[in-house]
Order: sequence, then C-alpha cells, then structure tokens
Amino acid sequence: MDIKTAEKFMEKLVKAGIDYGFEECEASFAQDSSMSIDILKGEVSSYENSATSTLSFRGLKNGQMGYCSTNILSDDSIDFLLKSAMENCEVLNDEDPQFIYCDEDNKNLYFSQTTEAFAKNTYKRFEELGLGLEKAILALDERIDAVDILSISCGTGPYLIINSKGLHSYRDTDGISLVASARAVDSDGSVKSGGHYWIGKDIDDFDQEKFLKKFKDNLIGKMGAKSVKAGSYKTILRNEAFQQFFMVFFGNFLATTMQRGLSLLADKEGTAIASEALTVKECPMLEKALTKIPFDDEGVLTTEKAIIDHGTFATALYDLKSAYKAGRESTGNGFRSGSAVSEMPTNLVVEAGEKDLDGLMEEVGEGIMLTDLSGLHAGVNAISGDFSLLCEGYLIESGKKGRPVEQITVAGNFYDVIKSIKSVGNDIINLPSGEGEFFTPSVFVGELAISGDDGDSGEGEEY
Amino acid sequence: MFNDADCLRILEEAMSTTADFAEVFQEVTESKSVSLLNGQVIRAATGFDSGTGIRLLAGTNSVYVYSSDNDLEVLLKLAKEAAAAIKGNDKGQIAALEQLCKTTKSQVLIDPMTTQKSEMVDFLRKSSDYALNYDPLITQVAGSIAASTRTARVINTRGVNKEDTTKRIRLSVETIATKGNEKQSGRVAPGTMRGYEFINEYPLIDKTRECCDTAIRMVNAGYAPSAKMPVILGNGFGGVIFHEACGHALEATAVGIKMSYFTDMLGQQIASPVVSARDNAQIDGEWGSYATDDEGNTSSDLLLIENGILKNYLIDELGSRRMNANPTGCARRQNYSYAPTSRMSNTYICNGESDPKDIIANTEYGLYATQMGGGSVDTSTGDFNFAVNEGFMVRNGKIAEPVRGATLIGKGQEILKNIDMVGNDLMLSAGMCGSVSGGVPVTVGQPTIRVSSILVGGREA
Repeated sequence: MDIKTAEKFMEKLVKAGIDYGFEECEASFAQDSSMSIDILKGEVSSYENSATSTLSFRGLKNGQMGYCSTNILSDDSIDFLLKSAMENCEVLNDEDPQFIYCDEDNKNLYFSQTTEAFAKNTYKRFEELGLGLEKAILALDERIDAVDILSISCGTGPYLIINSKGLHSYRDTDGISLVASARAVDSDGSVKSGGHYWIGKDIDDFDQEKFLKKFKDNLIGKMGAKSVKAGSYKTILRNEAFQQFFMVFFGNFLATTMQRGLSLLADKEGTAIASEALTVKECPMLEKALTKIPFDDEGVLTTEKAIIDHGTFATALYDLKSAYKAGRESTGNGFRSGSAVSEMPTNLVVEAGEKDLDGLMEEVGEGIMLTDLSGLHAGVNAISGDFSLLCEGYLIESGKKGRPVEQITVAGNFYDVIKSIKSVGNDIINLPSGEGEFFTPSVFVGELAISGDDGDSGEGEEY
Repeated sequence: MFNDADCLRILEEAMSTTADFAEVFQEVTESKSVSLLNGQVIRAATGFDSGTGIRLLAGTNSVYVYSSDNDLEVLLKLAKEAAAAIKGNDKGQIAALEQLCKTTKSQVLIDPMTTQKSEMVDFLRKSSDYALNYDPLITQVAGSIAASTRTARVINTRGVNKEDTTKRIRLSVETIATKGNEKQSGRVAPGTMRGYEFINEYPLIDKTRECCDTAIRMVNAGYAPSAKMPVILGNGFGGVIFHEACGHALEATAVGIKMSYFTDMLGQQIASPVVSARDNAQIDGEWGSYATDDEGNTSSDLLLIENGILKNYLIDELGSRRMNANPTGCARRQNYSYAPTSRMSNTYICNGESDPKDIIANTEYGLYATQMGGGSVDTSTGDFNFAVNEGFMVRNGKIAEPVRGATLIGKGQEILKNIDMVGNDLMLSAGMCGSVSGGVPVTVGQPTIRVSSILVGGREA
C-alpha cells in the first residue's frame, strides 16, 4: 500500500464522514515496514520481512468521539468505519468533550527523517554483522556457553493525518536495533544470562568493540553472584535500571491519569515532588534523538519542556481532551495507542549531574548498585508508588564496585525515592521508550530496603 | 480468505528455491469493546484486522514474511523474496491439499459480536453502581467487556488445510479503595470461549463485592515481612507460579536451543512427587483452548509432569526439528505478524489429596497468597518473580492479618521441588501470556498448594 493510495482513501473517507453526519472527523494512517534477522549457532536461523498498515478513523457527534480501525482500504471499509464509529458515539456518555484540531498556521506539516543510510540495511549486511558478532561474543570468555538471542532489525514507517478541519500532516522515521543476550556457565554449574543492545540510524555507527566491552561487563561481571543480607542499603540505580524504574511510574505524570484520580500527583503541578537534584525534560526535537517528533497524533505541535524542574513538578503531559478539562493548552502529547488517543511522552531527558559512575559510588561508600529490575509489570503498585522487585547488581564497598549480587528484591515507594535522590550522575545512555527515547544517567537514590538470603539461617526460616 | 488455488500459487512461489516446507497463515479478526469508568462510558471501540504470514523452513533455518495487504500479487512478491532468503539444500515437495476442515472449541449460544454495546454498558453499570455505593473507601470502579472473533486458516506443503475459529469474551472489573495517599485495588477478569450467555450468568454483584473487599483490606493492610518462609498459594491464578517457573521452561522455544534449565530431562524428577501438571488446549469453551493450532495441528491434552517426573515438552514444528521429536499441537501466535512458536494453553497443576483447610492448619508460620499478580521468569537461569496482590500472614495454623506489597522470588527449578502439599480445589483462571510470538490467551490454574520455602520480598525487615 503506497502512501498516495492511502491519502486518496483518507480524503474520501473524511468527506464521507461529514456526509454521514459526523460534526467533525479525522483519519490517520500508520505504516510499518520492517526487516529482521536472528542469528543462532553460526547461522541466520530466522529472517523476517513485513509491511503492515492501520487506518484509524474517529468522528465527533454530540460531543462524543467514536473510533474504529481497519487495515483494508476499500469502499466497503468506508461503510464499516463510519457505521461502527457512529454506533460507538451513540453508546458513549463521556462528560468531557473531545476535539478534532487544526492550527491554521501549522496545518500542512511535512517532516521526513528517513535517511539514505537506511539503504545499507540489507540482509547480507545484517548477516555479516550478526555472524561476526556472535563469534566475537563467544570469544569474550570461555565460560560463555551460547548466544541465545542475537537479533538485528530495521524499520521505517510513515504517519499521515487528515481531518475535516483542514489538517493534512505527514511525518516518518526509520531506525535500526540490535539485541544480543548470552548465557555463561560457571565451574560450579551456575548459569547467568546477560546482554546488551544498540539502537541507531546508520549501521556504520555500530561500534562492535564498545558493544562487546559493555556486553562482557553485563554478563561476565555477574558471574559468582550471590544474595545479600536483608537490610537498608544506600542504593544507586544504574542508568538502565533508573530508566526502568522511572518509566514504570511515568503514567502518574499524565493528565488523564491525574484527572481520573489515579495519580497521587493530581493538583501537585508547581509544587516540589522530588529532590532538587532531579530535572526531567521532554525534548521532542532533541538533536541527538533518533526519532524527532514535530507534532503529535492529534496534529498539535510538540514543545520542549521540563516535567520535573529541580524537584518541582513543572507540568503534566496533556492531550486535547485532558487539556480542555484542565483549562489549558495541549502539550502535544496525544498519541494513538490501540484505537484511542492518550498521552505519551516523546524523548525524555534526565539532566546530568557532575559525577561519573565512579564518583557516585565514592559518594555512596558502602551500599548497592542495581543494574537490572525484573517483573516491572507485576511487582509495582502504579498508583500508590509501592514497589517490590526482583533485581540484580553489585555491592558497593569502600566506594568501589564490589561483588555481584542476585536473588534479592528491592522495595520502597516511588514518591519517597524521587524525594530522597542524593546525586545524579553524568553517564547518560539512551533507550527506546514511549514514542521516542529515554536519556538517563545513573542516580544515587538514597536508602532502599533490600531483601535477600545470605545463607545464614535467619529468623524467617525458624518456624 | 483466499481460495485453495491462490494458496497453492503462494506455496509454489515459496517452494521455488530450497525450502523443504512452506505454510500460509491467513487471519481475520474482528473485535469490539466497551469500557466504563465510574459509570461513564469512556471508550467504545470496533476493530477489524486481517493479514497473511508466509513461513518457509529448510531444516532449522526459517524465513517469515507477512503483510496486512491481502492482495495476491503482493503476497506472491513476498513469497518470492522469502524463497530467495531461505537457505536449504534441495527443492522440497508440495503434497496435494486436503479438503478444507473447519474446527472450533468455542461454545457459543449468543454471539457477542451481535450483542449491542448498549447491553454491555447496562451490564457494567450495575457493577459501577454497586461498588460506588458499597463503602466510602471505594473511590473508583472500572469495568470493561471485550469480545473478538478470530478465524485462522493454515495451509501448508504437507497438504494441511484447516481453519480454526475462536470466539472469546472477557469481562474485567476493578475497584480502587483510597485512604489518604494509599490506593489499592481489587480485580476480577474472567475470560471464556463461551458466548454472551457467560456474561448474563456471571455473578457480577458478588464478584464486585469481593473486589471491593480486597481493595479495602489491602488499603488497610501493613507491609509484608521480608524473609524466607513457607508460602501457601491460593487456587486459580496462583497457578501463574507454575506457568512462569515451569511452563515457559518446557516450551521448545527454550528447550529446542538448550536454553532451558529443563533441557534433556525427560523422565527425570523435576518436581516434588506430589506434583502432576497438564497443558490441555481441548477443554470446550475454556479461555485458553483451541481446536487446531496455528500450524494446523490438532490441539492436545498433554501430561507435562506426573508425580514429579517430567513427561512432555511443548513442541512446535521448528522445535520438533531442533529436538527430533513430534510437534504437540501447541504452536500459537498473537496474529499474522508473528511466526508461530510453542506456547501454553490451559496449564495447571492437577488436584492433589490435601484439604485446603488442612494446608493452612498445618502451617505454623508463613504467607498465604490468595491473589497473585503477574510475574516473569528467565528460562536460562530460572530466576522468577511474582507479585502478591492479596496476602495474609499465617500464624499457628490460622489465617492472621492481611499484608500487601509482597513479591515472591526464587529459582523455578527449586520451587517445584519445594511444593510439599497440594490441595483438591483445582480452579482455572484467565490471563494473557506474552512471549516471542506475541500475547495469547491462556489460563493458569492449580489447587491450593504450599511451597516449603520461598523468599518473600516485602518492605518490613
């Protein structure tokens, strides 16, 4: 399906929507073309190639917004989309009005960020890279038994939005990702798994040496890990772990969550909610970001802003509906998830502090550094902020990285943690997150409760 | 859906080079849902999705191409690309197509796709009205009904020509209790392959009350202690422990590449002798069932563990090639955008001999987890974690105070050996399982069981 065909269909659909009786209506088209290979035991074990697209329609009638989606662009589909969306309008009784939007000064936006480098992403190139990388991983350490996952993929996708108010905007992006994970077996038979990832826009930017160094640290560094004695530990959440931690509670910064009474941050805009050391910005057009997002899925221009500014909750993220309810402007964070629009972040940046990771560990003295949190979909109460999570990492002893630890849980409360942040590091990494990426350094978050079992028969076992 | 001749043309194109096997998977899914929040209908959606996936195998080398564009020319082009990418030695054969065979495990009297959304709204509103007037601590109630019909056709070069239809419906009610800054929830989310009559027969008010009671108990509860202790896991969704800690490690996805801690252990004692477990996709009307899997094989009722001895793995076509064993009819995928792989269906620990009351009475001190949240497992190391949504301390053989915020962690291979009591109150519970081939409906299940020692990660030392 080429974009021109979709564009013609959408124009016809929007016109038909008004004729059908919608007060305003909108069509959006998202396409995804991707290619990926998996490497296993010296071979390309799997190759995938795909092209999918989704056409979503939404129409406004008596203040209610009805949605419907399909992947078939035919005259029959027009009837199906309009009829279903109208039926959905009739059953809704949402008290909050919704909107179809068009900013007269920014109604014909065109933003293409696909690169010529994308043409380098061929099967052959990925195969060469993947096979070489698998060999190199196995050669890192004799305890590495197998590379369980080695997947390289690339994708590109245009997004087009057309509505009855005259909006007609286009954006697209492309990108490459590489994920690898291996297993290592120690002399005592204990097994550890670990890996690393890379995301980029040009395959030539992949730095294998740098990747392998980090890969080795993430896997071999864990060998011999043991649990620790339960207690309260000064804790660093290393960059990846801080991203995992912060994002699992990020829903609390969305206006809709707040308006539904499901966020403890409701009515807290403008007040101190975190340590002064913490500043988190949303930068949709960040120069170093792989995906820049000039406008959201409702056609609203995105803007750079602080969400947490030196500990103060500067602003929540709003889409058109939640902004109207709050009596303010949308922040350009209305993105489609499934068939409906809800708030999502674009590129998030945790502002770096002065110290590098060694500096943070020196500040901690005696404590623990967590590198990976597990079970984030289950072990947290997103509303109260309570969490209790399986994790792994390293002890910090005399200000230096000590032995690896595993089979422990970390527990606490999100709101307490962000208040007790002592220092933010400067070892910034970027991870895919939300509609864009999350840029974060490691963070010394103060003391947290660690549960573990150091092998001594503790009181808990006497029953 | 394509006709046989078109499918054959795609297979021929796919087999034009060195594949030894090719398969066309065509899917059409219709869906509808309504969601209420505090009595307001905030969401009503309708969707239609269809697409085709073409898979080629040459030994254990696989190529998968898919498109949401069902145009024959587009798919022939994709099949050609796939044929160019496959790495086999010889040109394979195409067997004559069997007569199309249509199957289903759905048992539907009233098709939810014909039920008016307004009827669904009226039903959910009863729950909202009840919950919001139940107790001042209950501040939120959300409800939803989602229904779908998925028709999946599989045609392959061995002549398989099958079409399986699954009609599913799922209800969800969640209540939230608020006390100061604390918010805790209670939730039920039954799912079925029966029709809308399931909703009509559902004891909505009783279940809404249970949700409210759980939320209120938990908002008033203290934190769970942190220590190793015996843990009693309640029946039903407690089975998520088996699903995560054992089920995933029995899938060919992990075993086939020797990445599972249960690799090469058929016939060995992997669990305590009181444990037997099955994966049964053939239960009529059950949420995780299907008649024909996504590779066109008939589903099965598979004995996984018998008295602690490992009896079977869950094996798909690719896994069967890696493991040199027959597929077990367990290949599943979320939709056409995923190649199929070995997955669970209705997976449960079988009934044992203990009365659940005796399990509690025989426990001096421990945690009784009545409602579990989700969890995850690393199948290479066995590290798992589960959240406890509702828990109670057990003291001197009696249920004592409620506790919240507990997470259970451990190694899967150890936990199975530490199950020392199995009750006789087996119950299944609906859920969604995420893995390499996407999210698929599954049930987890078990009777009440006791694990002699698990590390409970709470907030109190």
